[in-house]
Amino acid sequence: MQAPERAVRCAVVALANGLRRVGVATGIDEELTLCRALAEVDVRSREEVYWTTRATLVRRRDDFGAFDRVFQDFWDGYDLDGPVKRISEHGESDPRMPGPQHGGESLPQFRLSGRSSHVLDGNAVQAMSPLELPTAGVEESAESERRGLLAAYSPNEVLSEPGLLEYGRDELAAVRRLAEELRSAVPERSSRRAAPSRRRHRLDVRKTVQRSLATNGEPVALSYSGPSRRPRRLLFLCDVSGSMERYSRALLASLQAAVGAGTRAETFVFATSLTRLTGDLSGHDAGAALERARDAVSDWSGGTRIGRALAEFNSRYGGLCLARGAIVLIVSDGWDRGDPEELAGELARLRLQSRRLVWLNPRPAELDGQPLAVGMRAALPHIDDFVAGHDPRAVTALARLIGGLGAGRPARRQGMSPRRLEELSSEARRAGGHAAGSSASDSSKHRR
Amino acid sequence: MPGSDSGGDAPKPDARTRTFETIEALQIALAGERYLVDEGLATVLFLALRLRKPLLVEGEPGVGKTELAKALAAATGAPLLRLQCYEGIDVHHALYDWDYPRQLLHLRAGGEGQLYSQQFLLRRPLLEALDRPGAVLLIDELDRADDEFEAFLLEFLSDFQVTIPEIGVVRAEEPPAVIVTSNRTRELHDALRRRCLYHWIDHPDRRREVAIVQARLPELPERLVEQVCTFVEGLRWLDLYRSPGVGETLDWAQALDSLGHREIDRVAADRSLGSLLKAREDLDRVRGESLEHLLDKASDASA
Repeated sequence: MQAPERAVRCAVVALANGLRRVGVATGIDEELTLCRALAEVDVRSREEVYWTTRATLVRRRDDFGAFDRVFQDFWDGYDLDGPVKRISEHGESDPRMPGPQHGGESLPQFRLSGRSSHVLDGNAVQAMSPLELPTAGVEESAESERRGLLAAYSPNEVLSEPGLLEYGRDELAAVRRLAEELRSAVPERSSRRAAPSRRRHRLDVRKTVQRSLATNGEPVALSYSGPSRRPRRLLFLCDVSGSMERYSRALLASLQAAVGAGTRAETFVFATSLTRLTGDLSGHDAGAALERARDAVSDWSGGTRIGRALAEFNSRYGGLCLARGAIVLIVSDGWDRGDPEELAGELARLRLQSRRLVWLNPRPAELDGQPLAVGMRAALPHIDDFVAGHDPRAVTALARLIGGLGAGRPARRQGMSPRRLEELSSEARRAGGHAAGSSASDSSKHRR
Repeated sequence: MPGSDSGGDAPKPDARTRTFETIEALQIALAGERYLVDEGLATVLFLALRLRKPLLVEGEPGVGKTELAKALAAATGAPLLRLQCYEGIDVHHALYDWDYPRQLLHLRAGGEGQLYSQQFLLRRPLLEALDRPGAVLLIDELDRADDEFEAFLLEFLSDFQVTIPEIGVVRAEEPPAVIVTSNRTRELHDALRRRCLYHWIDHPDRRREVAIVQARLPELPERLVEQVCTFVEGLRWLDLYRSPGVGETLDWAQALDSLGHREIDRVAADRSLGSLLKAREDLDRVRGESLEHLLDKASDASA
């Protein structure tokens, strides 16, 4: 292959750098491929260069939004039409082209930083973040929703009273314990993949015959195979609104241990809208991932709209079947500012897909003396298990619950009555604002 | 033939029937197979063929990911080898297996020679693709296979070679055109993505969709096609749980035609909507609130 024209090489490097700056990971491999690819197409055509560049440098749809912006700047500031056309005709470099000796100051990607600074203040950050799936429609609507929401009422003020926000050291310690427990109680499911087995489950003909070749075709030793087990997926939906932020942060930070331990876990955080965290949690630094998520979500620690967040999950990620066969754990105190009917409907939908829908409410004691949180009341008929509290007992109960859900098929409850919740919260009060747990077995008599 | 010494990756464009000189030529060839590609997909596919890189396509269900491979194979006259992925797929399903019963008989009959040789090798799609010059290999719904299988594919996708312990390295003389599809039920590993070109197929806009339906179902009246596509376009704006893809549009148009309707009206839509929308919630919603509006728009469009 002929060495690519210098102008093209510079352009490729410039573009890749611009992409890296906004968090789209591209490597030298991709740049080389792009150089090869650009030799095959007409570099004067914006269309062809655009598709070529996108196909080689971008690996996932989530990054298209960021790519489009970078490419636009690139193409505007650096008209490939002029210089490259000339170069391809005359085989010499354009004197106007900034060489590497100038540090490429006038290359478009360097102008990017200046130009994007005002963009960064706006909503572009959110779209550029790899945490968000930028779909134009959804983004726009979410944004306008958020504005409308903040104008309509101020959930922050309602929920941010200091008394409500404080979590003690013991509570955070409990969260860490939960992650530890989850680690040792990874739920499993049976896999389609067969594994060699000592038990006489099914004769592995292939292996038996293969072994008999060594004994002149006599099957002396029989080989068996049997079903194998795989970890079941856990899906965490964590409330990060004002009333839950600290708890969820601690939980997520600890969840990293569980994710790292080979559990298949998907994590989303929500307040009024939803953000996917999974890829970041499995990385090295959950703290940094959370910071990034926080930057991306403008309403972090804002009010909660659980129903809306779940609707977003169901419609945007429903097709990915993340909840299918998974154990879904919703971590929230049920302080919902949205439409309770929407919440109920979306929970019902989620429940149909999941293997088990568990709601962890770390602060049932806050219900004390107040009318039941509207969201919690709407949610109760649709969840399988309700675990309340944050002390060691609740944590152990939850871990045992999740661990036991993997195999077999535990009976699913038909729903929990609000009366049962009243009982639970009063139990919680008696226990000093701490543990209360409920599962299908012990509350089956409370069926509606 | 696979040859362990059949030279590296020196391009031999003349030997390839599937090399298209221009992007337009590729577009026309695919259109000949009634598969219409837009500029983006055409460019990316063209590059995949030229650079001999696998192409990873993702997109909503029903946008024609699998059809792409079929059309490409038909357009180039190459054999299509399809590997449908599922959980638990392994080397013996995808690459090769030994024909143990035959080996056994051979042994019992007092046969001579190597037991692990080409003679007893069962070729599965991947090996077959290396063997047959210019083949089109479709690795369908790779996200359904597990991580282990994905890792196994890495050697294949980057070098178009596989290692069979008993035989050695099998390399493609003429690398196959590989199309990998994924529905994103699981995120594919970065290592795999890096080896491929990537394209996301979107739902087509109305004009393109009309063209697609007309290409696929030329016997349908133009008016009906216009109406169907306008209706479907309206549906995609509704934020349904499961937006209909081109596949569903085609089904629906065909269903309407089979029922003898020349245009869409309330009765026609009501009777056949099930072939377009596959979730009860969506059906209820469309029947309940937006059907009239969509029908109005559809009949306006064709007027």
